[in-house]
Amino acid sequence: MTPSLLRPDQPLRLVDTYPPSAAARQAIIRVEDLSIVFDAPSGQVIAVDRVSLAVAQGEFVSIVGPSGCGKSTLLNAMAGLERPFGGQVLMAGEAMRKPRPEIGMVFQQPHLFPWKSVRRNIAHGPRALGKPKAEALRIADGLIEMIGLTRFASAYPHTLSGGMQQRVAIARALANQPSVLLMDEPFGALDAQTRAVMQDNLLELRERINATIVFVTHDIDEAILLSDRVLIMSAGPGRILRDLQVSLPRPRTSAIVAEAAYLALKRDCLDLIRSEGRRAFEQMEIKT
Amino acid sequence: MSVGRRSSATERLSVLVAVLSVPAFTGMWELVARSGIVNTVLFPPPSTVAVAVLEWIRSGQFFADLMASLARVAAGFAIGAAGGIVLGILTGRFRLVSSLLSPLFHILRPIPPIAFVPIVILWFGLSETGKLFLVVWGVFFTVWLATHIGVQKVDRGLIRAAQMLGTPQPQMLSEIVLLGALPYITVGLRTAVSISFYTLVAAELAGAFAGIVYRIEIAQQNMQTGQVMGGLAALGLLSFVADRSFAILAERAVWWR
Repeated sequence: MTPSLLRPDQPLRLVDTYPPSAAARQAIIRVEDLSIVFDAPSGQVIAVDRVSLAVAQGEFVSIVGPSGCGKSTLLNAMAGLERPFGGQVLMAGEAMRKPRPEIGMVFQQPHLFPWKSVRRNIAHGPRALGKPKAEALRIADGLIEMIGLTRFASAYPHTLSGGMQQRVAIARALANQPSVLLMDEPFGALDAQTRAVMQDNLLELRERINATIVFVTHDIDEAILLSDRVLIMSAGPGRILRDLQVSLPRPRTSAIVAEAAYLALKRDCLDLIRSEGRRAFEQMEIKT
Repeated sequence: MSVGRRSSATERLSVLVAVLSVPAFTGMWELVARSGIVNTVLFPPPSTVAVAVLEWIRSGQFFADLMASLARVAAGFAIGAAGGIVLGILTGRFRLVSSLLSPLFHILRPIPPIAFVPIVILWFGLSETGKLFLVVWGVFFTVWLATHIGVQKVDRGLIRAAQMLGTPQPQMLSEIVLLGALPYITVGLRTAVSISFYTLVAAELAGAFAGIVYRIEIAQQNMQTGQVMGGLAALGLLSFVADRSFAILAERAVWWR
């Protein structure tokens, strides 16, 4: 850590959810004191400020926060797409310096290869890892069936709806059988109805696959519905404010949003976010 | 409905006018040339041009000239385009390669290829290599710049998605980056088709033993103005066909748009 990042007005916060709890001891993801700094015209901007967290094997963790709070940057660092300024990300004990095929990622936009059919998009990963063509296509066909797009196996991305494209993107990420699936607001660009269907699909999928999932969203309902744990992030600079356990029973469906336990949890989250929002806003007022 | 009828009538009229446009123009040219207002030696009527073209074809020289010119354009285009695409991908994707080559290319690119004729004659004489050099030179920079820009405009999301899936570097360059930049590359290639014909003119004027532009020059020296105009028409038709076929080809290449 270079001195420039330390401000005298704030005490150095070493950890948020670290040192490890019982769950964290068998953590597959460990983010240790991670800072990410961007060069901006106005100077350096701290996007992620000394964040530490741990995600246990098989856990579904959401990261919630206002736009621009650095939650996507944090996720990109877990993916190996963003270089840490300080600290490190350990995936299964190994530092992430570049993307690794055992870490899958689904972006906000599907980013399907437009020149490839659904089947070949999904087969891309296994092929890239050197699997024979027949095997890659067999893996793709299995996943196509799972996402319910058998009829569209040879369709090209531009002929599919947004929701279908995102399902293909999820299947493509799963084709390499990743141990960790990172999802960056994957349903953020979809309309409300499609989003609800996709959330139920993901809950169902979750029961079938064995991956640890880290899910970034700004939608609190979505986060609580899907997750075992919700991490709430603050903006400017990005930090983790609170780590909330979601002990609602599984399997869940979107019907859960009417239950009392759910609502209590949501109220907690909203209070936290509201007070944080006010603080950030006032800070901005003082600056300007 | 009267509006519909009128618009279909207008449409029929404009089709008719379009069909008659070239014959009418040719007819007027014939009349003006035969009227004695102009010197027919310098400005021959289209009938004379047609006779010259027929003679050109019958003598077998037309085919030889066409092949000579086409071979130069095709070979120069292929080499220049391949080099432009490969280097464009490298400079577009790798900062260091770009730092090494881009300044040089940006200095050389604006020099019109025709300006290289004198030095090319010194270097290669009247050989085919010199002509190839000129066409390659013209094509290369256009395709290189289009590819370089296209590579930088490739959707970052596609590249990140491919990275996350473990795509190895050679496949990343030859598939994701190349196809991602293809819409830009095809625009560059199409411009390069026209440029390859421009440079062909310079290359053949600089001294050749066959070729359409060579034939035009020889005919000019013999005051065969009919043959000169026939050569011009052949060159125009050839580059028109090349451009149209390339446009169709390009549309199919980027079919997913």
